[in-house]
Amino acid sequence: MKFVIQLLGTIVVCFILQSFLPWWTMAVGAFTVAYLVGNKGLLAFVAGFVAVAILWLGMAFYIDALTHSILTEKINRLLPLNAFVATLIVGGLVGGFASLTGSLIRDRR
Amino acid sequence: MKVVKVGLSLVITVALIYFLNRSWNFGTPIPPLGKFLDPFGGFWQNAEVKERENETLLLEGLTDEVIIHYDSLLIPHVFAKNDEDLYLAQGFITAQNRLWQMEFQTHAAAGRISEIIGAAALDYDRTQRRRGMVFAAENALKSMEGDPVAKAMVDSYTRGINQYIESLSYKDLPLEYKLLNYSPEPWTNLKCGLLLKNMALTLNIGDKDLEMTNALKLFGKDIVELLWPDDEMMGDPIVDNTGNWKFEPVTLDSLPLALPDELITITPLEKPSKDVGSNNWAVSGSKTHTGSPILCNDPHLNLTLPSIWYVIHLQAPGVNVMGASLPGSPAVISGFNDSIAWGVTNAQRDLVDWFKIEFKDQNKSEYLSDGQWKAARKVIEKFSIKGADPFYDTITYTHHGPVTFDESFHGDSELKSYAFRWIAHDPSEEILTFYKLNRGKNHDDYMEALNHYASPAQNFVFASTSGDIAMRIQGKFPVRRKFEGKYVLDGTKTANEWQAFIPNDQNVMYKNPVRGFVSSANQYPADATYPYYITATSYEAYRNRRINKLLTEMSDITPRDMMEMQLDHYNLKAAESLPAFLSYVDTTTFSQPQRNAYRILSAWDYENSIESEAASYYEAWWDSLFPLVWDEIKNSKIALDYPTAYQTIKLLKEKPDLSFFDVVETPEIETARDIVHQAFIKGVEKIETWKAEKKKEPHWADYKDTFIAHLLQGLPAFSYHVEHGGNHDIVNASNGRSGPSWRMVVSLEKTKVRAWGVYPGGQSGNPGSPYYNSMLSTWATGEHYPFQFEPEANKIKTVISSITLKPATK
Repeated sequence: MKFVIQLLGTIVVCFILQSFLPWWTMAVGAFTVAYLVGNKGLLAFVAGFVAVAILWLGMAFYIDALTHSILTEKINRLLPLNAFVATLIVGGLVGGFASLTGSLIRDRR
Repeated sequence: MKVVKVGLSLVITVALIYFLNRSWNFGTPIPPLGKFLDPFGGFWQNAEVKERENETLLLEGLTDEVIIHYDSLLIPHVFAKNDEDLYLAQGFITAQNRLWQMEFQTHAAAGRISEIIGAAALDYDRTQRRRGMVFAAENALKSMEGDPVAKAMVDSYTRGINQYIESLSYKDLPLEYKLLNYSPEPWTNLKCGLLLKNMALTLNIGDKDLEMTNALKLFGKDIVELLWPDDEMMGDPIVDNTGNWKFEPVTLDSLPLALPDELITITPLEKPSKDVGSNNWAVSGSKTHTGSPILCNDPHLNLTLPSIWYVIHLQAPGVNVMGASLPGSPAVISGFNDSIAWGVTNAQRDLVDWFKIEFKDQNKSEYLSDGQWKAARKVIEKFSIKGADPFYDTITYTHHGPVTFDESFHGDSELKSYAFRWIAHDPSEEILTFYKLNRGKNHDDYMEALNHYASPAQNFVFASTSGDIAMRIQGKFPVRRKFEGKYVLDGTKTANEWQAFIPNDQNVMYKNPVRGFVSSANQYPADATYPYYITATSYEAYRNRRINKLLTEMSDITPRDMMEMQLDHYNLKAAESLPAFLSYVDTTTFSQPQRNAYRILSAWDYENSIESEAASYYEAWWDSLFPLVWDEIKNSKIALDYPTAYQTIKLLKEKPDLSFFDVVETPEIETARDIVHQAFIKGVEKIETWKAEKKKEPHWADYKDTFIAHLLQGLPAFSYHVEHGGNHDIVNASNGRSGPSWRMVVSLEKTKVRAWGVYPGGQSGNPGSPYYNSMLSTWATGEHYPFQFEPEANKIKTVISSITLKPATK
């Protein structure tokens, strides 16, 4: 249950932050939610990773569908990795480590 | 233990963010991945759809409302209530679609590319500074700002661009900024000057003074005259006015020019492609179906994305003009209004000279001029380099211009320095020419507008609804003694310098010639009775004769005929050379592929059409032949220039025993016949290899491979290959990398001016926009779009979005 709470909480908080602020504030959001919810280490990491991955991929898919993949195809040729996969990994890793840090700090008490 | 874990996790998180928030270069450049991939602000946000929303925006500096309708090609139709608002809106709208390109091109002009892409661009940047590009733009700026009309125009334009830049947040930045991780700096009037000087650089930097000096020393005067004549005498000058140049020419005292006698061991700067050229022509009403003149223009430049040109329709009281503008400069450059139309081709004239400087000592603070030591000016240039420490270069300026070559740059000896004199260094006010042309009503207005134009010299074609057609070769041309400007000059004597300029009214021009048309295609400008010495790197030899032949034969001309003529694929060069070449080939020892090639070539109609295989065989043959003929030049350690294709073919036909036809590396003595045969074998081999590699037939368009390259070194993801006919020396001068960058046809009917046009790209500079390449396939198939040149905003059809700009109250 706490996993789902952290997951949904991270998505909502990060969505709000990223709508106004630079990309890395997503880490602050993921950290805070993980700290408040208090999942243990690995679980917190996974929840954070999956949450930001869902958020970023969801947004990317939305834009891609809306614009008929006009730019996605070009960026796929530019990057050594598929643009969606790269987006998922980058967003997920930052979300995951930020959440892990949040959970570990809470755990320290 | 827990503290260690916390610390480790925190460090990883922060390090990850740091790593992903900046760009890196591990052999290949990597964008700031976090920023770049973030779908809320990164590249995803640059993806666009065809539909655009209507907007109302508040801009400072506007005095009234401006309405802009984007039509279905994303061409903006701008309706303003006064000039200042009009140019402010042009700046704003152009930046909205082309900001990255505008800044990149002016950075390139100013020698600042290292700031963006790193040390790899340093030699390029130093070249730009040592050519005095910024010096030239500053001089242009001074005269621009000295004229109230030009100043108001440029001020408004700059203001419009800056308001767009200020409105941007990271997520709105053009894609290339995100990719290279930098952001736009404020626009300045100087950048407008830089942009125009960048055009001068493309069109007017070509020179071969160093190479010709070496040729003179190595081969002597007779060979130089034979291989590199100033006028190739192939017939059709732009203006043939034989015996009717009725003016008193400016003469210089008849001091004979001392020809240099030296070898120069400098590595010359990279030259712009010789294939950069253009066509323009106008036919009078006597030859057209409607009885009104038709004017056509297609400038041949590098085929790049975002496109060099941006089509715009500008309307305000006193002006209603449409056509191609240059992103970074206000007004329309090649276009039409409700009374006149005009277009440009390059005048080719040599307006670059190199002066050999004698410095007093190694400090280079004084140099010799007429027996006196003159003080040199030193400028320290700073080059910021991405990912490295700045580089400093000291450039010495003489009164001639900057010393481009010295021991620290492309030179070999401390004692030899060459200063660079270029017409584009002089103050000039070209922007006023376009301001006036945009508003011109008749031939008189055209003539007055051109009086303000200095550089880069252009052949200005003209037609009006009142029925006039005209051609004028306009630029600031020094009065030259014979051979002056062809070789390096002795900079210690002021008598060698540019002493006087040809008065504007003595430039090559005419109006309403009897033949019923005017045309130019970068050929020699005037008949032999024009009283001034003319020299250039090269003049065009084929397109011009083909155009004149077609126009002479045509009557009852419709705009459609003219559009088709812009796509003419007849290869006059092949028609004049292939029969002789075929007769030189020894057919007795043929292999099967050689026999096949010979058969295809013998049956060719000389059309470089998309499907033609003969065209591929011919061009492969020619490309093998040319370096074989001039192996002496190709293999020379000293810089030398190649003779033209026209002269090469003429010599191959008329002087088959010329010593240059012997291939130096082989013991045998070859003649034209031998090397043409050898080149045939090589050419067929080339095609056979290509066929084996590509596993298809060598259709000309495939073999040529027309590539429209993104400005960032042709980044494949943002560039396109298209199937297109034509080649250099053909009216459709598309050679694969450069070609018709804009095609325009204007019918100047009294009731209504109608116009058609196209360019190989699209109105948006954003690779994520459907308008990035929306005109490309139309260009490739040789079609034109009809333009909506309507005087009233509500008559524009297929409006996809409207922008209302309103004055911001402050």
